[in-house]
Amino acid sequence: MNTRDIVLIALFAAITVALGLAPRIPVAFLPVPITLQSLGPMLAGAMIGPVRGALAHVLVVLLVALGLPVLAGGSGGLGMLAGPTAGFIFGWIIAAFVTGLLCRTWTVSGKARPSKWADVGLTFIACVIGGIVVLYACGALWLAFVAGLGLAKAVSGVAVFIPGDLVKAAFAALIAHNVRRAYPIELK
Amino acid sequence: MTGTLYIRGHSPLHRIPAGIKLAALCLFGLALFALDNWIVMGLAAAVSLGLLASTGIDPAQARRQLTGPFIIVAFLMAATALLVDPLLGLAVGLRLMALLVAGYAVTLTTPVSAMLEVIERLFSPLDRIGLVSSAKIALSVSLVFRFIPVLIDQARVIREAQAARGMEKNILALLVPLIVHVLRSADDIAAAIDARGYPPAHGANRGNAHEHT
Repeated sequence: MNTRDIVLIALFAAITVALGLAPRIPVAFLPVPITLQSLGPMLAGAMIGPVRGALAHVLVVLLVALGLPVLAGGSGGLGMLAGPTAGFIFGWIIAAFVTGLLCRTWTVSGKARPSKWADVGLTFIACVIGGIVVLYACGALWLAFVAGLGLAKAVSGVAVFIPGDLVKAAFAALIAHNVRRAYPIELK
Repeated sequence: MTGTLYIRGHSPLHRIPAGIKLAALCLFGLALFALDNWIVMGLAAAVSLGLLASTGIDPAQARRQLTGPFIIVAFLMAATALLVDPLLGLAVGLRLMALLVAGYAVTLTTPVSAMLEVIERLFSPLDRIGLVSSAKIALSVSLVFRFIPVLIDQARVIREAQAARGMEKNILALLVPLIVHVLRSADDIAAAIDARGYPPAHGANRGNAHEHT
């Protein structure tokens, strides 16, 4: 863990926080507006790798615990880490790790350097698995636990957000591909 | 980002040391999850609201923070009540309310520095065996604070330049140059930190800068 690793970790934590400051998109029938914040773990995993991406989100969780308004809409504090959406907040750590691990295995250490659309496609699948499948599993498990709902009902409850997150995964893949081309960073 | 959620004050909750508040909050949470009785949950929620009121927070500010989570809680309460059991739904809703409000009350009355101190103390056994470094944690927290305004300013600059060229708002066209720009500056920042010999080598105040690889 050298100084550059620490700077990159802090930078991607700051990117996740800044994405929460972007205007939110209210959706008529949903109780919570869609935010760009869940783009953060996908970007971190795909651009700085599993360990640093995960540590960036450990840092975000730490900032929430410290009482800083770093979550979308300016919320934060210990209450959020025990509230109904806590599974998603802690899940960012695992989501970034899985996204980064898949990206590193598929796109970077692969024998032949993948072509443009193969790279975007593989990064997209990594973001979907890490940033959606794994993240929603964490979110739904916690929700099922705190709400006494049972896993199946909790999953169907959060599933309404998946279409929006698929769009985010596509953006994350395009952004990661273009940034990697302009400024390649080893994933670790 | 508008400062921290902490508010100045002299309420009883403000005067309790941060470590004790956090330990009490953990016990409170564990106790609430060990029980399923809605009357107990109702009492816990009432106690939490009482604590929140005792902090002297502006009700409008508390509403801003809690409305979002409360809508989700109400939604869950209705879902559990309708799909599983009405009384369980009530217990679930009151438990989440109690946890959210109690956590918020502790956050409101504990300055960030005090909270950071508790966290450093919690990590200190790991620090001693070299697994984590409190100095590095503190450095990364302060770097995040430095990066957020840089990101916001740079996003505005890029957006204005693109608008001047007649470009529509486009998240891809904004985020790619923004991230490339900050990644480039990250190398300069890392070099500057290394040049100042920070963070200090493990367990030492000798000002040697050799342990940086």
